[in-house]
Amino acid sequence: MGHGIFVAPTRKPLVTGSKSYHDITEDICSPAEKAPSVAWVIGMLVSLGLVAFGGACLLITIWVGIGSWNLNRTIGWGWDITNFVWWIGIGHAGTLISAILLLFRQKWRTGVNRAAEAMTIFAVICAALFPGIHMGRIWLAFFIFPYPNTRGPLWVNFNSPLLWDVFAISTYFTVSLLFWYTGLVPDFATLRDRAKGMRKRIYSFLSFGWTGSAKHWQRHEYLSLVLAGLATPLVLSVHTIVSFDFATSVIPGWHTTIFPPYFVAGAIFSGFAMVQTLMIVSRKVMNLQDYITITHIEAMNKIILLTGTIVGCAYLTELFIAWYSGYIYEQFAFMNRAMGPYWWSYFGMMLCNVITPQLFWIKKIRRSIFWTFFLSIVVNIGMWFERFVIIATTLARDYLPSSWSYYWPSIIEIGVYLFTFGLFFTLYLIFSRVAPVVAIAEVKHILKYNGDQYLAKNREDYEAKTGVKVVLDEDKVTDDPNYEVDDQIDANDLDENN
Amino acid sequence: MNQFTFTGKQKTFTFSLMFVGLLTALICLFMKGDGLRFWSNFLHNTVFFVGISFISLFILCAKSLAYSGWQTVFKRVWEAMSLFMPIGVIFLLIITLGIKMGWHDLYHWADADSVAHDKLLQAKSPFLNFTNYFLFTLIVGGYWIFTMYAYRRLSLREDNNAGLYSFNKIKALAGVFLFAGGYLACIMIWLWVMSIDAHWYSTMFAWYSAASWLVSTIAFTVLMMIYLQGKGYFPKFTDEHMHDLGKYLFGFSIFWTYLWFSQFMLIWYANIGEETTYFKLRIDEYPVLFYGNLVINFLLPFFVLMRNSTKRKHGTMIFVAIFVFFGHWMDYFQMIKPGVVETEHHLAHAAHDDHGSDTKHLDDAHKDEHKKEDAHKDDHAGDGHDDTHGDGHGDAHEESLRWGFGMPGYIEFGMFAGFLGLFLFVFFTGLGRASLTPENDIYLDESYHHHA
Repeated sequence: MGHGIFVAPTRKPLVTGSKSYHDITEDICSPAEKAPSVAWVIGMLVSLGLVAFGGACLLITIWVGIGSWNLNRTIGWGWDITNFVWWIGIGHAGTLISAILLLFRQKWRTGVNRAAEAMTIFAVICAALFPGIHMGRIWLAFFIFPYPNTRGPLWVNFNSPLLWDVFAISTYFTVSLLFWYTGLVPDFATLRDRAKGMRKRIYSFLSFGWTGSAKHWQRHEYLSLVLAGLATPLVLSVHTIVSFDFATSVIPGWHTTIFPPYFVAGAIFSGFAMVQTLMIVSRKVMNLQDYITITHIEAMNKIILLTGTIVGCAYLTELFIAWYSGYIYEQFAFMNRAMGPYWWSYFGMMLCNVITPQLFWIKKIRRSIFWTFFLSIVVNIGMWFERFVIIATTLARDYLPSSWSYYWPSIIEIGVYLFTFGLFFTLYLIFSRVAPVVAIAEVKHILKYNGDQYLAKNREDYEAKTGVKVVLDEDKVTDDPNYEVDDQIDANDLDENN
Repeated sequence: MNQFTFTGKQKTFTFSLMFVGLLTALICLFMKGDGLRFWSNFLHNTVFFVGISFISLFILCAKSLAYSGWQTVFKRVWEAMSLFMPIGVIFLLIITLGIKMGWHDLYHWADADSVAHDKLLQAKSPFLNFTNYFLFTLIVGGYWIFTMYAYRRLSLREDNNAGLYSFNKIKALAGVFLFAGGYLACIMIWLWVMSIDAHWYSTMFAWYSAASWLVSTIAFTVLMMIYLQGKGYFPKFTDEHMHDLGKYLFGFSIFWTYLWFSQFMLIWYANIGEETTYFKLRIDEYPVLFYGNLVINFLLPFFVLMRNSTKRKHGTMIFVAIFVFFGHWMDYFQMIKPGVVETEHHLAHAAHDDHGSDTKHLDDAHKDEHKKEDAHKDDHAGDGHDDTHGDGHGDAHEESLRWGFGMPGYIEFGMFAGFLGLFLFVFFTGLGRASLTPENDIYLDESYHHHA
């Protein structure tokens, strides 16, 4: 009271290192203005290697056809659709951070929203590849769009959720791209103002003549809010419709009403795991620890814990209702998941998605860089298993035992999956070189409320007023063993950077 | 005014409501002799208000873990709303006792004769039985009550003790409750509500019903805040807070609709007889409930609250909140009553014809792999009507004309008033027992300066 900012003394800083506005500009712009680091070059070479190998597999798929995969009569959807759903899910974190967390006024979003939104766009591109090539004749891919044509009465099937996917994902991609770019405009202008020569001309074009006038900011804020409003239902709708691909069927294990919200929760779950994987590497390599702090990482781990628990609730509900329904085919589908030929993927899914994320209840683990990185990989594996369980396990044991089958991917299918990894990381690495990975303008916006120097003053005022001692995790509390691991890692980080 | 006073006038009002409830209940039981109507109303209102108290506690716990601060200025209102829980759980135990004593036939699975002739009910009997119903209600209800009192105690302790003791303890309590309380709520909804349609199942059901509770809770909060502000309390509760409650009302109404649509659409699309029977019954025989549900709970809040400005207008908020609160009460009505009527038909049918058509039918249904063309006409047969009874359904909306089951009559509104009176009495009493402002809450300053 009386000091101008009204922030609870327990709030942890979101910008550390007593940054000034100028420091923020310098720190975040510099990676895009320097020659690439060795780590970046190695990363790029590995990614391009994957693109080259996977690209060959992709060409073989297109040249030879789907026969180059190991799909068979019984299992018509294998790794392709598994990967498609997996990548689409990854994208969801970006939209959630940019749209829903904006509407909820969550300030920690500012540290990670830019990279997460970029990740969304790249993930959707990777996802879209799979249904595209699964058509077999990719040169006829435009048939999926409904338009008056010369093929007679041949229209798309409006009753099919696969067509709804086309609409949902293309809308999603468009809105995500607009949202991302809207946020980038002021930051491109910052880069422009610091650049010279050709770079200046390029950033000048990209920043649409941004001057930072009050009117510009007003329109920028307004557009962001409108796009957030549009993107919020999209977070729900995209994975809802992906879940419809399965749930509208009469296949036991696919047809269940909980699918839409549970797919959405799973998507956010895996998306945040991927954000963690990327952020933990990016903040280190690009020296952004003051902007993507342990507090950001902890907040995202809490979302992973929440969504993982929701997903767990859905798994158990499905399992219970399968028994409760008294419907023998449904019961068989779940027995088959746990004890059939693909039992290992079911247990992998349960372990990675339901059990290990619960470790995040422990604060030490939630705030540990090592554990976060490790568990984020585990969650991504688990969510891949989930889609594989739903797709392959269910199809392998259909209504007719004579057509029961087993499926294992061919090297070509594995290669196509690797291609998407290569593509994803190539795009991300390019992005990290040409645009600010953290939203400069938005971080500046929260500095006065969440910068450590302001919060420390705020906390002192509170302590003076009430006589209550507030201990935050960032303070190196030596008598608390819980924080040792964290402190060591942080100290190491700093040492290496210096 | 930092201390709420439960005035004599308010007491008279809540007692009048309770009196109306008691009176209509007695009329229903003794003048009309309609035990089924009384008990289904009792269950309906109990589940509805227990849900509101559960969700109030759930929101408080979620806010604690999410480090949310803006609600602090009125968080005592949610605390007071959660205080109804013990009474609600006692009422549920009375219903449980009623199952044992044979006071009512709300649950088809509780009828031993039906179970003996019905393979599905036999298959479900390890879950749907008296012991489970009783133990889950007692233990889970007890756990909820424990958490509610523990939260309240810690919150009140803070008023006299500055510091972070309560802040930290509540986080631990909330973590366990969000996890365990949330998971267990699914089981309670299956037992209390979904098992009324004992043959039917839907994995979405628990989440759907919980969303209905959630919207009711927010609507009730809006109404109470406007009322209490009108009386001069909560001067620091501003339009900014109202705006955020309005966003909740808007957003969660859409969320409820999303779950409604997902559940309905998937069942409609797959067209499996065992599942469609639930909606078929409601669309054919309770169309007003079925469509009204969507109009009141989706269209109305969606269009009225879409603009920012409407969320700040008290008159508009009162209008929407009353409709939506009532709308979700009606939602529970349509979840409960049609199933109760079906059970009544089953039992009446079984009483004069004991050949166990259920069992036979369900076997056939599985053998036939749900022939779609049959699914439609099987619906009623599947629920145990034979043809002679089924003829009655040829007439339009027979059930919707039956007061108390197809439509709430004066008895339903009376008993609703009674429960509302009791809920308000507990609410006002609880509100008056503590300071309205949690002075030492760490987020109070933030809450005072909240900007939506």
